[in-house]
Order: sequence, then C-alpha cells, then structure tokens
Amino acid sequence: MKGTRRRGKSQTVTIVIFVLAVGLLLFSSIGGARAALNYYSDVYESMAQTQDIGVTLIENGIEISNRDYYYNREKERADGTWDENAGTLLAGMLKEGEELKLGYKYAEELKVRNSGTIPQYVRVSIYKYWVDQEGKKLQELSPDLIGLELDTRDWILDAGAATKERTVLYYSKELSPDSESTPFTDGLVIDAKVANSVTQKVEKEGAHQNITTVYDYDGVRFIVDVKVDAIQNHNIEDAAWSEWGRRVTVNNGTLSLK
Amino acid sequence: MKKINGLLAAAAVMLVLSAAIGSAWGYFTTFVEVRGGHTLKLGSRTEIDEEFSDWTKRVSISSKPDSVPVYIRAKAFCGSEYQLTYSDKNKKWTEGEDGYYYYSDILYGGQTADELLVKIENIPADADVKDSDNFNVVVIYESTPVLYDKDGQPYADWDAELETGNVEGGSN
Repeated sequence: MKGTRRRGKSQTVTIVIFVLAVGLLLFSSIGGARAALNYYSDVYESMAQTQDIGVTLIENGIEISNRDYYYNREKERADGTWDENAGTLLAGMLKEGEELKLGYKYAEELKVRNSGTIPQYVRVSIYKYWVDQEGKKLQELSPDLIGLELDTRDWILDAGAATKERTVLYYSKELSPDSESTPFTDGLVIDAKVANSVTQKVEKEGAHQNITTVYDYDGVRFIVDVKVDAIQNHNIEDAAWSEWGRRVTVNNGTLSLK
Repeated sequence: MKKINGLLAAAAVMLVLSAAIGSAWGYFTTFVEVRGGHTLKLGSRTEIDEEFSDWTKRVSISSKPDSVPVYIRAKAFCGSEYQLTYSDKNKKWTEGEDGYYYYSDILYGGQTADELLVKIENIPADADVKDSDNFNVVVIYESTPVLYDKDGQPYADWDAELETGNVEGGSN
C-alpha cells in the first residue's frame, strides 16, 4: 500500500513536470503572437524595426524589385507582412519598336540595396539562357553569346558554382542598412556571332539538292534571370552554411569563400 | 509505471530542446528574383532589280520589310573589250579597293537604295542598239547585317562566314 502511494506520488511529480515543460514550450511559441498584440506600443515598434531584413535590386539606378520584411510603405509602419515588388529586368533596354543592335554594349548596371534595418551579406545568382516563342528553354543555343559583363571589384566569383548558364557572386563587404553595393554588372552585349550561326536543311529534288539556310537565333528570346539572396550579418558563417549551403569566412567584415 | 514516467520525462526534455533548436535554426533571410529578355530578329532579305537602256544598266537593290538592317555592295562584269563606269545621283556608291561599289547608308527593312548606274563604254560606233541584248553585263550584289561596336558605331563585317554547325537531311 505504502509502495503504491509512493509510485502515485512519483507519477504525479512527473506529470506536473511534463505539464510545466509543455507550458514552457507553448509560452515560448506564442511569444511572437503576444508581441504582435502589443505592436501599438511605440517602444515595441522601435524594437521590432531592428529585426527587419530587406533587399532591393537596382537596375540602372531604378529600384525594380524588393522584398522587405515587416515594413509597409503605405502604412509607413511595421505590420508583420512582407513588402514585395517584382519588376521586369531589361524592360528599359529598348525603346518601343527599336531593334536590338548586335555587338552594342547596352548599359546594364545592377546592384543591391539593403532595404532592411539590419546589416546583411548578399549574393547574386545570374542565369542566362535562350527560349523559343513558347518559352521553352533551348539547351543547344549558347548562353556565352549573352554577354552580361561583370564587375567583380567587390564581388567574389564562386567558380565552383559556375556553369555556362549560371554565375554566382558573393559581395565581399557587409551591407549596412540603406546602403548600396557596388555594381556587379555594367553592360549587356549580344554577341554578333548569333548572326552567323545557321542550320542548313538539305532536300533532294531529283538530281538536285535544295539547301535552305535557317538562322539558329532568329526569333528566339534571350533571358537573364537574377536572384539576390540576403542574410543577416550576425553569426554569418553558420548562417551562410545553413541557409546558402556555402562555407564562408568573415574577417573584419570582409567575406571570403572557403 | 517506471517506463511511463521515463517516457514522459524524455518527451518533456525533447519538447523543451526542440524549442531551443527552432531558435538556433532561424536566420533572417530574404531574396528577390527578376528576369527579362528580348527576342532576336535575324536574316537579311534583299532583292535586286535591273533595267537596261542606252547602254546603261540601272541597278536597284531593295530590302524586304521583314529584313534586318543591312549594308550592301555591288559589282558588275562584262567582256574585257568594254569598260564600265559607275555613277549615282547622290554619290552614295563609292568604289572599294576590291572593285566592289559600297552603298554608304544602312538599308533598313522596306527601303530601296539609290539606283546604281553602270554604263558600258567603248561601244562600237556602228553597233546596233538592238545588239545591246547581246551585251552580257552581269551584276552581283551582296548584303550583310549591320553590326555595332560596343560604343554603338555601326559597321559591316564582309568577311563573316556562316557557321553551319547543323546540317539536316541530304541523305539518299
């Protein structure tokens, strides 16, 4: 009987501890929700602003796309949502009705702005490829002829991640809030070789052959796709490995690839 | 009962630990992605029209509306006993070192170049005008797409060769 009471007491203690653990867990998980309920507090709001992360891509001096956490431009305050604006790259490259000039270097200065409120590190992934009129990727056409000219003075080329289609660059400096990186591209040239690449179709007609020459790049569309990733500066080496899958080292704010 | 107690204790520890793991894995990140591009239009489509009168061949070269902008050049051949002289109204055709006559302007789709007049000289005084049909003056012309250097200056690459990487068909 005495033994049964002891066992019952022990079980009660365990259950109490378990309930306490669950309570602790729940308390921690509703922290965000509880904080949201208090967001009217000026003190809280100013604290929350310090946690915002945001990034903006700038093309030829114009902000074309951004994704900023927690800041609503219309309401001009944090409201717990993402402020996202997605533009189109190269939209201003040609005037209406203007034909593309082969070999000409079009201005294409791309850079990144930290539109959040915490310091960050950024990397960009650039993809170049050709598609047909239906948008289907044409693997046989050369991405090399889409000449996006890089500016790597402050950007590190990740040679291990590079393919003919993809280029990955890491900004070597920490990007403080509201500051801009230096450009990672400065121009775009479509190589004149596209005008010389042809396929010949040979058809036999009696004793003769009819040869039809078709331009390989006629009617196809070149695509440049740029993705910018931003990550907090705090604990950057672990963060980059966890979120980007890339080992980096940072010394005195300067990032390098391992 | 001891087993149940142990399981409950282990579950409690795991729950608390899992909360800690969550915060350790949560890094602030964001991204933007944009894309864009343009369609290429290639291929020069030109044609020549010739008229012959008064011992003069009038050569007219035009570009079809769907053609890319091109540069053009032309050259005429005839028997060695005759001499050919070239002229045009606005002096846009100039002789090159290779004997071709080069048209100075870019020929955009739908445009026609100024007429190139090729006059046959040294015609025998007693030649019958009707015999002009027997004068075999052949005019050849070429076009090449307008290219640009990086600063936007247009130029013609008359030495460009087509790369026929693919040949389809042709088998017996």
